[in-house]
Amino acid sequence: MNLLARRNRSGSSNFAAPCPILSPSFWRKGGKARISFAHAAALVGLCLFTPSLSAAQSRTEAQQDPILAAMLTELDRSVHDLQLPSFQKPFFIQYRVEDVEDFETKATFGATEGSGRNRARIARVTVYVGDYKTDSSGGRGDGSVEMTSLDDDPIALRSSLWAATDQAYKNALAAYAQKQAELKQVETPPQADDLSHEKPVISLEPAQSLKIDDAEWQNRVARFSGLYLTDTSVQALVRDIEYCTAAFHARVTTTRLVNSEGTIVRKSASSYQESFGVGTQAADGMRLDRSHATSGVAVTDLDTPEAFEKHAVALISSLGDLRKAPLVEEEYHGPVLLSADASADTLRRLLGAGITATRPRLGTEARTNGPFASSFHARVLPDFLNVVDDPSLKTFNGKGLLGAYDIDDEGVPAQSVDLVTDGRLDNYLIGRQPVKDFSRSNGHARAALSGPAHPAIGVLKITAKEGLSDDDLNKKLLAMAKDRDLPAVYSVETLGGPMNPRVLYRITPDGTRQLVRGARLSDLDQRALRSSVEAAGKDLWVANYAGEIPETVLAPALLLDDVTIRRANDKNDKLPFYPPPD
Amino acid sequence: MPQNPFPASSFSLLGPLALFAASLPLAAPAQQPTPVLLDAMTTELHRAFTSLGKAAPPSQNAPDPDKQLPPYFLSYSVSDASAVLIRAQYGALVGSSSNQVRVADVQVRIGSPALDNTHGDHRGAAVNSLELPLTDDREALARSLWVATNTGYGNAVDNYLRVKTEAQVRAKEEDTSPDFSKEPPQVSIVSPAPPVKIDRAAWEQRVRSLSRIFRDYPDVYQNFVMLTVQNETDYFASSEGSRVVTPHLQARLVVLAVTRADDGMDLFRDQTFEAETVDGLPSQSALESAIRDLGKSLEALRKAPVTEPFDGPAILSGRASAVFFHEVLGHRLEGQRQRGDEEGQTFTKELGQPVLPSFLSVADDPTETTYNRTWLSGSYTYDDEGQKAQRVELIQDGVLKTFLMSRLPIASFSESNGHGRAQTGRMPTGRQGNLIVTSTKSISDAALRQQLVDEAKKQGKPYGLYFEDISSGFAVTTRNSPQAFQVIPLVVYRVYVDGRPDELVRGVSIVGTPLAAMKRILATGDKPEVFNGECGAESGTVPVSAVAPAMLLSEIETQRQPQGIERPPILPIPSATKEAQ
Repeated sequence: MNLLARRNRSGSSNFAAPCPILSPSFWRKGGKARISFAHAAALVGLCLFTPSLSAAQSRTEAQQDPILAAMLTELDRSVHDLQLPSFQKPFFIQYRVEDVEDFETKATFGATEGSGRNRARIARVTVYVGDYKTDSSGGRGDGSVEMTSLDDDPIALRSSLWAATDQAYKNALAAYAQKQAELKQVETPPQADDLSHEKPVISLEPAQSLKIDDAEWQNRVARFSGLYLTDTSVQALVRDIEYCTAAFHARVTTTRLVNSEGTIVRKSASSYQESFGVGTQAADGMRLDRSHATSGVAVTDLDTPEAFEKHAVALISSLGDLRKAPLVEEEYHGPVLLSADASADTLRRLLGAGITATRPRLGTEARTNGPFASSFHARVLPDFLNVVDDPSLKTFNGKGLLGAYDIDDEGVPAQSVDLVTDGRLDNYLIGRQPVKDFSRSNGHARAALSGPAHPAIGVLKITAKEGLSDDDLNKKLLAMAKDRDLPAVYSVETLGGPMNPRVLYRITPDGTRQLVRGARLSDLDQRALRSSVEAAGKDLWVANYAGEIPETVLAPALLLDDVTIRRANDKNDKLPFYPPPD
Repeated sequence: MPQNPFPASSFSLLGPLALFAASLPLAAPAQQPTPVLLDAMTTELHRAFTSLGKAAPPSQNAPDPDKQLPPYFLSYSVSDASAVLIRAQYGALVGSSSNQVRVADVQVRIGSPALDNTHGDHRGAAVNSLELPLTDDREALARSLWVATNTGYGNAVDNYLRVKTEAQVRAKEEDTSPDFSKEPPQVSIVSPAPPVKIDRAAWEQRVRSLSRIFRDYPDVYQNFVMLTVQNETDYFASSEGSRVVTPHLQARLVVLAVTRADDGMDLFRDQTFEAETVDGLPSQSALESAIRDLGKSLEALRKAPVTEPFDGPAILSGRASAVFFHEVLGHRLEGQRQRGDEEGQTFTKELGQPVLPSFLSVADDPTETTYNRTWLSGSYTYDDEGQKAQRVELIQDGVLKTFLMSRLPIASFSESNGHGRAQTGRMPTGRQGNLIVTSTKSISDAALRQQLVDEAKKQGKPYGLYFEDISSGFAVTTRNSPQAFQVIPLVVYRVYVDGRPDELVRGVSIVGTPLAAMKRILATGDKPEVFNGECGAESGTVPVSAVAPAMLLSEIETQRQPQGIERPPILPIPSATKEAQ
């Protein structure tokens, strides 16, 4: 399918590398390859949680929307009539229809490779049999997906829902029977219900639409991809550039969700991302890549064309520095300063996997899964760090946050969750699948386009008590070098992959900074977060991740006491076999 | 379906955006200006061919002399395709999009035609693909081709070293033919295909309303109608001096409808309509009545009795015969199947021998664009190796004469006959274009039917079978699999010897060995039918046609097909509910 194929194409997998020349506040961070929907800051507070309206009135209002009307009609029919003789009826049915509109344009070496718009409506139907305590939910059998009508044709819309419901119900019956059998195999009963009770919500935001000047973006992106050739300041590098690409992707998603408990939600989100990537090889064949992405919930969140261009040129120019940079030493253990940018990536990776609560394996007494499965009320960070996930935070320092939203993808209003207080883990992000001690959703179930909802980061904010300025962090880093009589320490400006610094400085105790290449980090894990963080910055970096599920991380720089840096020793490809065209 | 790790072929309903390699002769002035794209390709190809391997690479490592081998052949094949896709289901639009994409396939050959980097299993790795800019920006085009050529050359060097090593350690191959045939360069520069221009809104409405017809057939629980219109131009340049531009236009409307019998058996019907442009597609009323026929057919099928195992005489309709010949015979006549350790080589030793009854002849003729006024989708003027399309007499009077040849030589044939075809991104191999089966023993439909009844009586069977429609199958030609074919009969009737009315049955699948089945053809009908489709094999999906008259077989073995066990939908489809009326 075209739409899905398209989503995979947002260029190189790693974006967002700040140029050492530019001040960090100047540019914005983008995500990892895929754009999904994001929240529109402009719509904050519209029609949400309107207790003054009765449910009946709002349902009437919802039925003005032809798609919601079709969804409600088919939902009612399924609730009343769907039953296989001698089997139980569904006890919970949910319909989610995503109306997604995409525009994408990409270019290479100064010329467009094409632009395209795509529109699709995707229906996802969830059917559970059983009850709140034990239902049919599990790894499989929870849902069924159908493409549905772009026309507001009630019969066609209902037909897709009908087909998906029939399939989901049959799957649910099979899954429920299997679950009953599995429950008989274990002595320890489940530690929590299967589905949480939540108050139904009726919330109708207006649907947004995608308004983009296609031709203008196509030209703009084409021009940026030719900067290696047209910008006079990087002429010396022209013959060494092996790729130079730029892309722009915009997406607006309107999600409609109804369930058999009475929830009716219409919400709309947008996401815009412009990206640039350029690469060459060093004389020894090592691949050198730089990239930048700017993203947000509105075009106005993106870099201005002038700023984007300046940044792109700086990245091209930085390849010249990297080509000349020496290889990192073979192995180093000691203090490492992660810039706020690098910290955001690292904290997202290390915390994101642990702070969500998901149902543990049947027959165990576990609370959840992942690295913090048993860390409830335990220390996971130094006591000067706090972590909160607050999806209601729509902007930070004037920038729109992609991870913000009002209602999650199970129709539950988002809550701000204090996850880590004084270094101690006190809470998890959770959806409607309860775990021990957490019987209710806190509105953090989120879904990728067409996918099932599961707990995920919204706007994760990490703050330090008495955080230091960048200057003070650098001083402290140098002081550590002197204390330990180290010949040098390291500072990571930006990461390519999770453990792959793209811009890494070796700093001698006199403060001299030297760019080095070819490094890999290791021992940067949950244990390092808990016991190796010496200090943190006071300024927060805004990292918008325009992935399938948009996320935002606001993070300070981190100074770690003991991290390993090794030479990567990746395979170095051959240099080009013949020179590029003149 | 039998466990078949490598489905070598199937007529496919889907994959309409597969890139088409063929072309139609467009009226072109004697001297066409060279398109910028072709010119940029030729320039960069020349520069690459004359630079590669000529100078020592600026490597710090000890230079390995093998790594500086110059290529002996280099080709660029660029597919520039624009397409519109409109899709509807349940009577409403689910997708409508258009796109344009240019993809370059770079083929680098190192070594010599006798033994090169494409030898054996490495053949598929000899093509390296890259998306190209859409504009006539020479700098960007050349730079992109440079990137793709570098990668392709690196792979070729690597594979050539492997090939040489493998050649030293393995036993002597059965077929010691070279890896690349010598062919004269081709130059043919014609006007590129125009961008797709259709009235999107009008066609959206047509496609939508066709899908809506299924609302009158409530047991059809799933359907779609899809229009794909693709105008493609292939630009080919090679170091041998070939420069070829081949436009190809195709409009295709696909209808699929699915129902399920009460016992859980899934039943489907599909129909495709092809033409050079949308204007050549059937009228809306003709399409509507075809869709109604599909709807009625499915409603009848779901109530039809399930087949019993059968071994006796049968008639394949012209359309069914066409699919049968494409799958059973056509794929086994592909040149590369006569060579290689994994291939069954069914026909390798049969050259000059009778392989069919003497009244049958088979040709593959991509140069024909129509058959009895039906457009043939397997037409092209130059193949994907830049070779001129040729009519090939494969079987004459039942005797095997030749194979479908790409530039991969085999023991019996050393040259291409213009059948090297591939989807963009794949290495061309010998493929079918328009497979045409002719007969000198043709009789009327009525006579053929009478002969079926007579044959059944003779064999003591209560009935013979009539296969009206057959869908996608696949041919198994590799050594590890039985030499079997499987096509999916969709509409099959019992023709009783006692004069009872014909009876529709469901769940029929054909089993048996291909050579045996083909030698049992007793007579043919006198009205050839055309099957247009898309054929998938190792070199990807290519548009093909097959033309054949109805055939009477003295013996065909059928069994009951494996079926699903799911119940039909529990609630009625919404179009059948009261609110919808």
